[in-house]
Amino acid sequence: MNRAVEITNLNHQYSDGTVSLKDVSLAIREGEMVAIIGQNGAGKTTLFLHLNGSIRSFDDNVLVFGQNIGTMPIEKRICTVGVVFQDPDDQLFMPTVYDDVAFGPTNMGLGQEEIHRRVTEALSTVGLEGFEDRVPHHMSYGQKKRAALAAVLSMEPRIMVFDEPTANLDPKSRAVFIRLINDLNTEKGITTIVAMHDVNAVPEVADRVVILNKTIVADGTPSEVFSDVRLLEENNLDVPEICKVFSILNCYGCTCEEQPLTLPGAARMLNGLIETNGGTVTLGRTDATDAYVADLVRRFGLSRE
Amino acid sequence: MRYPDIDRYAEIDSPIHRIEPRTKVISFGILIVSAVFAGTVQAALFFFLVAAALLLASRLPVRFILARVKVIGVFVIPILILMPFTVPGTPVFSVGPLVASAEGISFAVLVTIRSVAAVLLVVTMLGTQRFDTTIKALALLRVPDIIIQMLLFTYRYIYVMIDEFLRIWSSMRAKGYAFRFSRHGLSMIGNLIGMLLIKSYERAERVYQAMIAKGYTGKPVSFSSFRVTVMDGIFCAFVLVLAVTVPLVSLELL
Repeated sequence: MNRAVEITNLNHQYSDGTVSLKDVSLAIREGEMVAIIGQNGAGKTTLFLHLNGSIRSFDDNVLVFGQNIGTMPIEKRICTVGVVFQDPDDQLFMPTVYDDVAFGPTNMGLGQEEIHRRVTEALSTVGLEGFEDRVPHHMSYGQKKRAALAAVLSMEPRIMVFDEPTANLDPKSRAVFIRLINDLNTEKGITTIVAMHDVNAVPEVADRVVILNKTIVADGTPSEVFSDVRLLEENNLDVPEICKVFSILNCYGCTCEEQPLTLPGAARMLNGLIETNGGTVTLGRTDATDAYVADLVRRFGLSRE
Repeated sequence: MRYPDIDRYAEIDSPIHRIEPRTKVISFGILIVSAVFAGTVQAALFFFLVAAALLLASRLPVRFILARVKVIGVFVIPILILMPFTVPGTPVFSVGPLVASAEGISFAVLVTIRSVAAVLLVVTMLGTQRFDTTIKALALLRVPDIIIQMLLFTYRYIYVMIDEFLRIWSSMRAKGYAFRFSRHGLSMIGNLIGMLLIKSYERAERVYQAMIAKGYTGKPVSFSSFRVTVMDGIFCAFVLVLAVTVPLVSLELL
């Protein structure tokens, strides 16, 4: 397997001495869908800025496809790693959508026709056909966010990094954006790295989850990481809602080997249970049920005690 | 959010809207310079009429124009009041100890007509094409890159700044702030401006990161497909003829 990203013992601190990254080592294979989760100030954005070479590590320990990103020429760098920043107003800095989406390809030195093809294709991928002449200040937040994605797509990067892609989006736009990230990975084979707080969306955009808290605290499949409630608690992270529901069901005697993380997963899980139990799922209570439930509710942070 | 866009009516159709952007910038530029340097009231009045005719041909709504032209009143009205009494010459009438001179009055009228004509021309030029088109036309006319980039970023981020200002302002209002001309009232406005400066500084850093991420190397990048037609040439030639003959004719009239 091709190594897309290889970071070894990366350290970073701000000019005032605050440590933002400590001894971070991470290897990502080509085609993986990785989510990096962590509380505010955990160093996610700093890590991303290292990935596209915006911040350069002088230890030369950030390798992308085996090459040092810091010393790569800028035209090559932008078609290797594309970053979709959190606030689309930061990313769309040209007056019209067309100019913005064409900005990257032009800097790569492509010809007019190729630029036009890439802009058209990128806009149609994100569903913004006909927005070429629009100005960003007359677009909705969700549209701006998709335009910002198109502006990165037009550089056709092999790795795409998303900083909080679902933050501040309404449910419809959020679903559209999650679908887009998925399609990019499965259809175009782009390695996607996503940073988010929105743990409910994580299982939908990642098959590997990394918890970052200045250093890497955990690394595994979504079900491995999310089943360790104590670990999530320690890093001020939430548990996906579906996990919570199944943990409560567990107190009522509905035990499952692996907790489902998505809605289709939950349906599969229940189907499996019904089959093995001869057509039904039975729920029941014991003397201990109330105490278990109360403990769970407390741990999931729903009670005020 | 409804912004005070100068190019709100850029999409309507009129002979002025159809002029090719570069030709428009050059022709209107010549007209503006001619109007500003008009030596006599007659010449200034002539350029004012040309400006008014172009404005009528552009079909821009009158209210939209008035809202923008009235701003120059701030500069013109003081001149109109002060000039007659400060320029020495033949006395015409007097208000108390102040004596108004004929030269002063005609100079004040000249300045007023010149500036109104120039502003009408500017509004017509900017109002009949999208602002990004104007910037692109300037870029193609070899205006220095640094100025083009400053215009591009100002145009793009002025709206973001308006939003940011309104967000801070409405949260101040939500906490009961009402502007009063007092020490407290002013210091709050000072805080607001300071906040805006810090926010724009931080945003500038993030925008720069995003620019680097898209391979920015210092050159402005933009696309345009402007084509000069025969009509554009005729319009530009007409403007040139006016700019040359009107000052000559008006000097002879003197």
